[in-house]
Amino acid sequence: MRRLAVLLAAAVALVVVELSVGAIGFGKPKLANPCTDKPAFSGGGLDGEVQRFVLTGLNGAACRLHTTREELVLSFVPAAGTKRVRWDRATIDAALRAGFHRAIEDTEQRGPAGYVIGHLLDVIVGAPLDFLLDVTR
Amino acid sequence: MSGLLPDRRTVLTAAVATSVAVAFADSSIVVLALPDLYGAFDTTIVGVSWVITSYNLVVAVAAAAAALARIDAYRAAQVGLVLFCAASAGCAAAWSLAGLIAFRCVQGLGAALLLASSLALLGGLRGSRARGAALWTTVAVLGAALGPVLGGVLTQLFDWRAIFVVQAPVAAVALLATRGAHALADEPRRRRRRGALAADAALGLVFAALVGALFLAVLLVITVWGLQPITGALVVSALPAATLAVRPLGRDLSPPVAVGGGALLLAAGLAALALLPRVSNALVALALAFCGAGIGLAVPVLTRSSLDAESGLVRSGAITVAARHAGLVLALALVAPLLTGSLDDAGRRALLGGTKEILDANIPIRKKVPIALALRDALERAPRGEVPDLRQPFDDAGARSSSHVREARDDLVTTLESALTRGFRPAFGLAALFALLSIVPAIRLRRAA
Repeated sequence: MRRLAVLLAAAVALVVVELSVGAIGFGKPKLANPCTDKPAFSGGGLDGEVQRFVLTGLNGAACRLHTTREELVLSFVPAAGTKRVRWDRATIDAALRAGFHRAIEDTEQRGPAGYVIGHLLDVIVGAPLDFLLDVTR
Repeated sequence: MSGLLPDRRTVLTAAVATSVAVAFADSSIVVLALPDLYGAFDTTIVGVSWVITSYNLVVAVAAAAAALARIDAYRAAQVGLVLFCAASAGCAAAWSLAGLIAFRCVQGLGAALLLASSLALLGGLRGSRARGAALWTTVAVLGAALGPVLGGVLTQLFDWRAIFVVQAPVAAVALLATRGAHALADEPRRRRRRGALAADAALGLVFAALVGALFLAVLLVITVWGLQPITGALVVSALPAATLAVRPLGRDLSPPVAVGGGALLLAAGLAALALLPRVSNALVALALAFCGAGIGLAVPVLTRSSLDAESGLVRSGAITVAARHAGLVLALALVAPLLTGSLDDAGRRALLGGTKEILDANIPIRKKVPIALALRDALERAPRGEVPDLRQPFDDAGARSSSHVREARDDLVTTLESALTRGFRPAFGLAALFALLSIVPAIRLRRAA
């Protein structure tokens, strides 16, 4: 009887330990709030600046569309089998432009260097973005 | 029987007992081979699951029919072994999924006849009903617990067909052995003793719970975590090892305590599987060890309580077999749609999490874009229901030389595996519920005792 009690206690202890080391949240992706959170990307250099700029733009667009940036990206990948594009073209264009402007503002707020990089990216990315949105319309 | 020398009797007993163990093991023996069958027959998950369900369903129905009919144990064993032997050869040579399922049905019919009649046969070989029933109970527990391990080893060493190739000679040897044996005379049918029905119900629920340990855990480590069958078999072998280890403890406990304690251990082990906090072979093995301990305590007692030789040996054996397999079929019928639904949700969560990992990965954009496109292609190419190989695009992009690419690959794979592992949670939870429910009829067993 005592050995059975020990076995049962060990089994319950295993469940308790699992719960205490994160079983509740395990397997749930922690998606950022696109309206309040900054991109978690930590790369440096020009490549890092460009990626942060694009990710901030995505956040802005997703915030405007009341979704997450991950759902926004996947909605353009049919094989993903997630929700298909559920916005009309004009709404997406407006969201992407809004995201782009938010990215420029965010970059410009990061000191004098950020101000210069933000302006540069506005010139480098802004015109092609307008062109692409017009061409694919 | 009295003319048989002890050594010869031992050999005959071993041959019959092995065939009984194999027939019990067949309920779960192909679980580790399911991915291979899935690929070999280009089918769906539901289609391939019928390789398991069909066998258990036919065993349950045919055993129930055998319990109602009055059959001669010796003849039934011989017919059962012939059918089992021929159907095993047919399964090994099956050319299509439909053919394999058809042969599995015949194999199930043979198994039902063999299992129902083997109680009287083993009683004759061992010299008494009690000793025959004790051996039958032992091989029944071992067969069920060892099934996935045997199947996994054979699948990786040879091929899924090897699982069936080895069964045909086992049945053939047992068939030859039964020619020199006699079954114990069956008792006239009487009303079953009080508590036998409660034991049947508890046995059915325990075996329904076993679907979690024998099927779901194996599917998780093989199809989601990508373990090789032998590695998977090693993890799963914690279950039969624990089943064997607790047998001395079970002998020291009163039947109600052994059943109640066993059911609680099984439920706790399944709950531990449902609440995995990370992808870990060690945690799965530990949880399965508790499941195995629960089986080792509860199943022998329940089988002994269910077997009521006074009401007819064949009838009693057939009812026990029907109860076990009905529990398996019930659980398979409920767990399969539950798992399919929760895995769909888990797949969506996995994609969102995976996309997050790619977007935030600290790798240059000139590598990130080709990796993202290759991942999209891998998703498009993967057959429905199959987890695509998402490591390759990272390896092609230099994961071996770049720690950042390697880290991104590992983060992505961990995110996907974690989300899909979580998708098994409701199904493991349902299996744990079955284990807890088995305590209810076990309480009636106590009153009867």
